[in-house]
Amino acid sequence: MAEQARRLQPIDTTAEIETPEHVRFHYPVAGPARRVVAWALDWLIRGAVLLLFAFIALLGGLAVGDAVSGLSTGFLLVILFLLEWGYYTLWEVAWNGRTPGKRALDLRVVSVHGHPLRTGDSFLRNLLRAADFLPLGYAIGLVVMARDSRFRRLGDMVAGTMVIVEERRAVASALRIDPPPTPKELASLPQRLPLSGDELEAIELFLRRKEGLGPAREEELAAMVAPLFASRMGIRNKDSARLLALLHARASERRRPL
Amino acid sequence: MKSQDEIVAARSADWRELETLVSRAEALHHLDGPSISRAAALYRALSGDLVLCRARCTPDLVAYLDNLAGRAHSALYGAEPFPLPAFGAFLTREFPRVLRRNASFFALAAALFLIPCAMGIVLALLVPDAASQILPRSMLDGMADMYSKGFDEGRGEGADSAMAGFYVRNNVGIAFRCFATGIFFGLGSVFYLIYNGLNIGMVTGWVTAAGFGRNIGTFMCGHGPFELTAIVVAGAAGLRMGHSLVVTHGRTRLGSLRESAPDIVCLVVGAAVMLLIAAAIEGFWSPSAAPPPVKWAVAALFSLLVTAYFVFAGRERGRAP
Repeated sequence: MAEQARRLQPIDTTAEIETPEHVRFHYPVAGPARRVVAWALDWLIRGAVLLLFAFIALLGGLAVGDAVSGLSTGFLLVILFLLEWGYYTLWEVAWNGRTPGKRALDLRVVSVHGHPLRTGDSFLRNLLRAADFLPLGYAIGLVVMARDSRFRRLGDMVAGTMVIVEERRAVASALRIDPPPTPKELASLPQRLPLSGDELEAIELFLRRKEGLGPAREEELAAMVAPLFASRMGIRNKDSARLLALLHARASERRRPL
Repeated sequence: MKSQDEIVAARSADWRELETLVSRAEALHHLDGPSISRAAALYRALSGDLVLCRARCTPDLVAYLDNLAGRAHSALYGAEPFPLPAFGAFLTREFPRVLRRNASFFALAAALFLIPCAMGIVLALLVPDAASQILPRSMLDGMADMYSKGFDEGRGEGADSAMAGFYVRNNVGIAFRCFATGIFFGLGSVFYLIYNGLNIGMVTGWVTAAGFGRNIGTFMCGHGPFELTAIVVAGAAGLRMGHSLVVTHGRTRLGSLRESAPDIVCLVVGAAVMLLIAAAIEGFWSPSAAPPPVKWAVAALFSLLVTAYFVFAGRERGRAP
């Protein structure tokens, strides 16, 4: 699979970054669905903050009387203004490209070159929400996103940014064959396996995915290829998944320098 | 040649250490010195692992390392903290300079805003029904009513705060929309400049025709120099944005847009600051009980200030703008 990837870049929603140190890595670009959810979360938070301040103003009005009604109206309107135009930029600057909604969904805004978001660019991309939102409900933004390979809305294009997914992943655990292969099982396999590098890689990928598969699915997938390998080597195939594990064990013991 | 399991066994301790370091803070400058240099060393080692694993290992491990490299990268190169001294330099030098560089867009935006505004005033004065044909009657009557009393006693403090809040939200919204819709090849900015110019002109004309021209004049003259100029500046930024999409000088449209982005940011941030000043004046000075001659004198002073600021601020001896 790695060799194929080198030959042909897979069609995928990732962005390759090359840093000044010539480190290359890939970011998965965030699609519209995830971003809509993050936006909805931020919207709820903004609503809650506004309600909170409205409650404070209400308490103030009850305590002092009508005299503060103008004051609290002005106060609420300024809060509303800040939530409309400042909320995103304030968070994105403070949290290096994330708002609470983006953080909850493991999203981050970075520049298209993978650099951290700058204050001015954050301001630009969030002002352009006024254009992305038109005619209503971010309709233009969504159409523009759908046409772009990095899912950028208009604001992202002007500011030179993109939204990436930073999902935490776990290190793959080491492969174990359970129960360990018996000498008898290994002896039934030929010393030199008639398998190509790609086939061995496919087997390894299957074994690493095994943990996440149900027993029936595991058997079904293994049964697709194991009989082919078995007949090529002229051996009997009783347990397809087991056979693939044994083939992998034999291949890695040969690869290991003795 | 090492197998994937051997690579993981040998390196995963380092990976975990890097992971805890970058999880501890959003940006690494919050950490102490030794932790930062340790993180940098681990990051460089990780980049080597990444090259190796991309060639040898299964996609799940590569995805894990890609993710870790990305997080370490954004932590190591964390965003610049908001530069406050730079903001002072921006106001005293950068903004007027950039505005002078984009004088033609400013002039065009001013024409698109002021000509409809003047037409609106004239139309509303000459044709009695014109304003009520275009704008809702109730809103016009409300405006006329608002200005009918004059400001001899000022407004209550509470009303001042409420109006300041309203102006902050409404007018900054107008200016930002004037700018943002410039992304549609400048057409949105053109539309909003004309629309708002006409709107403001019509209302002024209507209130004047109703006989309260002096009141609205003394009210608007205080914040006008900041507010109307800021709307024009925001419109100019939108026009600049649209222009860079149309006239690309051989670049891609997106490349041309990015090229003009620093100027655009400057203009919009400058306009935002002016709008905040305008809102403060509009909320607390314009409706005050100061006699009209004082208000007009202050308005003249403000206009002079804004003009002098745009023309002279940030010039360096012996150098063009």
